[in-house]
Amino acid sequence: MKKIALKGITAAVALAFAAGGALAQEKTIKIAGFGAKSGVVRSFGINSEAAMLAAADQINKAGGVALADGSKAKIKIDYYDDRCTAEEGISVARRMAGTDALVGVGPTCSNVAEPLFGILQKKAGDASDSGLQFPIFSDVAIKGGLARISEWSFRNVPNEMTMYSSMFYWLKQKHPEMKTVFGGVEEDFAHSRATWYVVMKDRAAANGYTIAGETKWLLADTNFATQVREMKKANADVVAISAHPFSTCGVLKEMQRQGVKPKLLVGLTSTSSLETMQGCAKQAEGMMIPTSFAPVNKEGKAAADATAKFKGSADLHSMAAWENMFILKQVMESEKISGNPKDVQADRRKIRDGLAKLKVTKGLLGDTKRTEDREADKPYLFVQAKGGNWVVLHNPL
Amino acid sequence: MDFYFGLAQIIGVHTLLGLSAYIVLLTGQVSMAQAGFFAVGAYAAGMLTVLAGWAILPALAASSLLGAAVACAVGFPALRVKGLMLVIATLAFGEAVRLFFFNFDYQVARGGVKLGPLGGEGFRQIRYFPENGWTTMQVMLFIWIFVVLVMAILWWLDRSRYGAVLRAVGEDELAAQSVGINLTAVKVSAMTIGGAIAGLGGGIYAHYTTHIEHASFGILLATFALAYPILGGLGSVFGTVVAAIFVQGFLVEGLRFLGDWRNLLFGALIVLAMNLRPKGFLDAPTLRWIRRVFGGKRGAA
Repeated sequence: MKKIALKGITAAVALAFAAGGALAQEKTIKIAGFGAKSGVVRSFGINSEAAMLAAADQINKAGGVALADGSKAKIKIDYYDDRCTAEEGISVARRMAGTDALVGVGPTCSNVAEPLFGILQKKAGDASDSGLQFPIFSDVAIKGGLARISEWSFRNVPNEMTMYSSMFYWLKQKHPEMKTVFGGVEEDFAHSRATWYVVMKDRAAANGYTIAGETKWLLADTNFATQVREMKKANADVVAISAHPFSTCGVLKEMQRQGVKPKLLVGLTSTSSLETMQGCAKQAEGMMIPTSFAPVNKEGKAAADATAKFKGSADLHSMAAWENMFILKQVMESEKISGNPKDVQADRRKIRDGLAKLKVTKGLLGDTKRTEDREADKPYLFVQAKGGNWVVLHNPL
Repeated sequence: MDFYFGLAQIIGVHTLLGLSAYIVLLTGQVSMAQAGFFAVGAYAAGMLTVLAGWAILPALAASSLLGAAVACAVGFPALRVKGLMLVIATLAFGEAVRLFFFNFDYQVARGGVKLGPLGGEGFRQIRYFPENGWTTMQVMLFIWIFVVLVMAILWWLDRSRYGAVLRAVGEDELAAQSVGINLTAVKVSAMTIGGAIAGLGGGIYAHYTTHIEHASFGILLATFALAYPILGGLGSVFGTVVAAIFVQGFLVEGLRFLGDWRNLLFGALIVLAMNLRPKGFLDAPTLRWIRRVFGGKRGAA
């Protein structure tokens, strides 16, 4: 009896060691996410992290990423808070590059993306350039033209020029009686500023609208009385607000207080999020926004549900992070990365080259075209705030 | 290792910013203008290397001189007031500088791409270091050569007659004036030296981040500039570097793993540090102890 028990224990120990060995051999691919998880725009980072974790969970449950040697590796996500500051973004990038992470997904703020892309090597393989050689695939930072800063930077963000051009064209066709547009801009935020001056204003004028004026405020402003008075005085048919949810809600509430009711209200693409509905659903009623995501199909709804399980909400930004994960899986498999710690830099280069080769990627709203300058041309639709939700107003594609 | 070199770069640049406020604080003046001088240096050095094609050293020399000149010009009218009025006056100057760069457009076409400051969108592609093949370690060493140089100059000044005059003005203006010290000359000269150091730090900062914009030079940066020497202690120039390591190395980077809690702890730990060390990390008893331990008999005496 004693002998049998001893054999049993020996067998159990041997099995445990074997299992442990197998577990130890299971490969892991690290993907680093980074963005603002604190401060005024913290929701961007929280939602992106949730979407990345949800996508990784789904990929891992389906077996993981196929490696060059035929084995499979699970994806592990490490997410870093850069507090939406340039210095911290650079520091985080250097930290990520110092780990065995193969690629970074982020940042959430354009003012972090600009310096961050600046410290990357400008031309891949240029030995005279000592910039960081680490692929970054942005999900949120949306200010136009940033990916061209470095050949190691890629973005999966919508093309605002195309979206607003289409929106103002559609509005002009649908409401030809409306002639004037008044702009409100969050002046100190790189994205909202660029979107008004370079995109909205230009596209509205190109589609036959007269710009009746513009008013400015800052991201941290809490009083918008003067700006709304200017808006009231202009009495334009359309008011276009290029600002993030926090100050957009402040302005909308002040508009309600002063009784300013434009015939049409157009918002910034980043404002088509849950935060706006939580902050000022009543005042935002009727606001129209072009966006690259809405849960209008089976895939979109499933992605939104999966992200919710990781305590995040689905919007155009977080769902870009979701898409990035599946695009990266596809690239890692097509480029046959090894997943071995000694090949980290070679694998990073393969991922960069694989991302650069892409012409079309699969997105939640359909196929996304990749451009020569490593940007995306994503499908989009127009949504409108109605009864505390964003509902699809029009699908121009 | 690159990450630690990068962190050392940040600490070095912030030490220069803190040292620029240190010398002004010695005269008892609280200046919130250091972020403004830092911005002037950043834009000047960036424009000189990117648009004029200068090498980094002359560009930094020019940014330092410009910082000094602006500080001197600001010093004369601003230092006629003191205490809270001076804080407001220098704060207003800092904001004026920030708003100037917020509206400052000067772009030049270089190889089909427009480069230079573009108002609120900032000034990108200040890539002197990577374009010239500097490694992260080389950049870190370059920055710390300046930090050590500036610290050595300030340390020497502190031990000279000029340093005694600065501290005399800082301790009691009336007493200093009664023994014939020209208060305006002392305060303006301290402000000018501080401006030169801030201009130098700003020039390095622009090349370290590769992108600068008005928002980087706001009140928060001005507050940090003051916090370093106060937190580190005005007894010695080394206090500022200790505080920069504490804030940037420990509070910002070391606690990153705490996520959202980091922001809460950030303020709490600074308050705690100030309560535990009201005269700064390197206060007089600590400095005496350090001298005793490392200075042998001479220090003990």
